[in-house]
Amino acid sequence: MVRLLALDPVAIGDLLWTPLLIIILKVVAIFAIGLLVTMFMVWFERKAIAGMQNRIGPNKAGPWGLLQTLADGIKLFFKEDLLPDRADRFVFKLAPYLAFVPAFLVWSVIPLGGDFSDGKNGIVTWFGEQTRVQLADPPVGILLVLALSSIAVYGIMLAGWSSGSKYPLLGSVRASAQMVSYEAALGLSIATVLLLAGTLSTSGIVANQDGFTNWHVVSTGVVPFIIFLLAATAELNRPPFDLVEAEQELVGGFNTEYSSIRFGLFFLAEFMNTVTMSGIIVTLFWGGPQGLFDIPIIPGAIEGTIWFIAKVLLFLYVYVWFRATLPRFRYDQLMDLGWKILIPMSLGWFMLMAALRLGRDQDWNQAVVAIVSAAVLIVCAGLISMAMKVSRANREREGATF
Amino acid sequence: MGQYLPVVALLIVGVLFGVLSFIASRLLAPRRPSVAKEAPYECGILPSREPPERFPVSFYIVAMLFIMFDIEIIFIYPFAVARQELGAFAFWEMLAFSSVFFLTFVYVIARGALDWGPIARARRLSDAVSSDRTSSSTIRRVGLEGRLDAEQAA
Repeated sequence: MVRLLALDPVAIGDLLWTPLLIIILKVVAIFAIGLLVTMFMVWFERKAIAGMQNRIGPNKAGPWGLLQTLADGIKLFFKEDLLPDRADRFVFKLAPYLAFVPAFLVWSVIPLGGDFSDGKNGIVTWFGEQTRVQLADPPVGILLVLALSSIAVYGIMLAGWSSGSKYPLLGSVRASAQMVSYEAALGLSIATVLLLAGTLSTSGIVANQDGFTNWHVVSTGVVPFIIFLLAATAELNRPPFDLVEAEQELVGGFNTEYSSIRFGLFFLAEFMNTVTMSGIIVTLFWGGPQGLFDIPIIPGAIEGTIWFIAKVLLFLYVYVWFRATLPRFRYDQLMDLGWKILIPMSLGWFMLMAALRLGRDQDWNQAVVAIVSAAVLIVCAGLISMAMKVSRANREREGATF
Repeated sequence: MGQYLPVVALLIVGVLFGVLSFIASRLLAPRRPSVAKEAPYECGILPSREPPERFPVSFYIVAMLFIMFDIEIIFIYPFAVARQELGAFAFWEMLAFSSVFFLTFVYVIARGALDWGPIARARRLSDAVSSDRTSSSTIRRVGLEGRLDAEQAA
């Protein structure tokens, strides 16, 4: 018997015409939604930042400048596509795909709607077939997202390396070090969510968050959420972690040598990643399509989509807000934050949650478990700060200047 | 494998979108390459040095440490998902592994593997705002000293 919680029922068994048609419709819909949402995200970011900086922002193309991104995109088609003479031609052409395609694929596992309230499993009936309001629901769910974000590192890394130019190379080396560092923190903070949900499937994770106190942001104790938000911002190379394209030092970072539609694909990927990462945050920590209260009149499945969109918009605004208000980190500060604070903290918090859960299963005294775990964590924090002091003293003795 | 079919379909659509945009751009965009356009970007001056082939070793250390943490994550994920089936034994195993792992991490930090940049030296405020640094002492009078007519006039 297949466990329905972690699979999309439309894709189980023989693929007949109706299920196949539904899958094709879903693919086309996700593709269109993906592009449109990215287009409006660019507009939203420009408009919101303009508002925060007391400017007007795009307002000429279309109503309120809504079509500005489309106009920019069309302009890019008419621009000359340059291939630097020292570039590694094949890799240079391949890199935009490696950045763009994974950004697109993340859409497929995000639950975009459905009724998960009161233990329902979010399955809707379309054209007499049962399915989910998400493109695919593979059992590996979140692992697919992590794998795709790792491939995106290759896109940026190879783009800079293959350009055969100084600034893109420096930008991409920085980018890959930054992205792998924060991927560790990202993965460790997701582990706490998996500990509670007991499944990797995104719909299973959403189904586990029934009611506000069960939302993982509350039930994992906020810390993994904050770590995930910071690590995701760094993973997206968005301010205040946009050292990859620190334009005062690196011209434009890894995409300096790219022009025309090749640049367009990187740009699209960057903003699409912002939207999908907000979707992932909402799915993992904020209950996805789960609502806080029942909206009257509107049926349950559509209600889920409304809640999902509202939450994603909130996080998109937060990202724009970060960009408008926070100055960029210095590289050593970025690495210190990632390695010496976020990674040990996420690992420690994971072990703490695991100990508390084990204590509950084994009927130990929860207070004793909490006190012992907290004591162990404080000792660990002390060890790290001692190690940092030792390292600092060594460097001062040697007079490090690098 | 039916569950992965939509993902593969989206992959194909995504790649197609990229390829079609390239074809469209090739048809619409002008092609007038020149030596200056194809040279590596160097803010307008002629590139005088080859792009660097060697990096600070810190980047390699970060990459190696990342693999270490990836191994930790690979152990943690199955434990997190199958915690209830594995029971208390798995927790103690994870704790033992994480402790060994954590101690090596502390050693790595103590050896300074994750230190970047020069040691931060906070500048004392008294150096920056002393009372004998005024506009007459810090701003050089441009054009007076060394000028022939000024010396002759004096």
